[in-house]
Amino acid sequence: MSGDRKEKEMICALTADEHNALQKGLRELPDTMPPRAVWHRIREQAEAEGLVNKPRMQRRSTWYTGAGLAAAAVIAAIVIPGVINPPGEEFPTVPPNVSETPVAELTALQTLMVESRQLESDLRALPDEPRVMRAGTVATISDLEDRIAAIDYQLNDPEVRMTPEDKELFWRERVRLMKLLLQLRYAQAQRAAF
Amino acid sequence: MSKFADIQIDPAIVKKAARGDSKAHEIIYRAFATPVYSICLRFTKVPAHAEDLVQETFIEIMRSIPKFRGEAALGSWIRRIAVTKSLMFLRSAWTKRGQTLEDDWQDVTEGQAASHGISSHPDDALDLDAALANLTDVSRAVVWLHDVEGFTHKEIAGLMGKTESFSKSQLSRAYRRLRPLLAVDENAQPDGAVVRSY
Repeated sequence: MSGDRKEKEMICALTADEHNALQKGLRELPDTMPPRAVWHRIREQAEAEGLVNKPRMQRRSTWYTGAGLAAAAVIAAIVIPGVINPPGEEFPTVPPNVSETPVAELTALQTLMVESRQLESDLRALPDEPRVMRAGTVATISDLEDRIAAIDYQLNDPEVRMTPEDKELFWRERVRLMKLLLQLRYAQAQRAAF
Repeated sequence: MSKFADIQIDPAIVKKAARGDSKAHEIIYRAFATPVYSICLRFTKVPAHAEDLVQETFIEIMRSIPKFRGEAALGSWIRRIAVTKSLMFLRSAWTKRGQTLEDDWQDVTEGQAASHGISSHPDDALDLDAALANLTDVSRAVVWLHDVEGFTHKEIAGLMGKTESFSKSQLSRAYRRLRPLLAVDENAQPDGAVVRSY
């Protein structure tokens, strides 16, 4: 037996079909999501080591900056009509830079945006979250919300230059996640009703 | 192809991450956490260890991303870090047990493998999952790196600090253990063509 052939047989130990079947089976094994707490641990360590800038919300604020912001909000409400939503009006769910999208692109995006807005509205129509919830449900809801927030962040970021296809992809994913979230919240509300 | 290759991150996000933007890092984490955790869990089998490795992997990403030049895909780069961390963990675990890489294979004999519940005619992912988990740490890692992540024997040898022959023999042994899972259709064609269950 030639060295090459011997080596091939030693490596393979499977026929080509068996090898293909094995590879396919392995690649189809399901992935596992890490627990939500892992990201919190990473962020804490990263902040402690100075690897990331602390989010603005977590920066220590002084009383006068808070007062200044409150004053600015009051002035804005008085001077610029329509800045604050009138009672009953829905909170805007479309990221701000969406309005800058050229009209030609909107056709494909519009359906997704409308669907997304409708899902937001449906979500708000559900009763408040019950006080007692399953830990797994809480984690899943939080994760979905985080993923939606991450998409919104990308859609809003002026530094991110997206092609229309990318934008559509992001909106499609947003709608998909919103649907999952709605299903979960709906099931949760039903359980709470009994 | 590895699942890492399917994930695309906008270069602007990577640049922001390199400047220490925590939100950008969160986006990268959200995108890659599942494949990273999956590979760590596949190697270690213990969720707590896998969580620690995910943490180490992403901290390493945060440390090193300013040096990432984009010559390779971000997914490949992240995968390499996760694999290296996982293998380092396995090495330390072997060291603690006073074993060498070669000894690891001897942990489980063929007889033991049969008693570990590997079905002779399994036809679903659970069986393969269980069978994979019953392989030794080294064999499982080699199979996964070679057949799922697409690493060559040379690359695996480099990652494990071993020779290519070592990688090949580990793979061969693992295949022999996994072979019973690849159920052959009783009505195999006379020309040798067979129908597999996957």
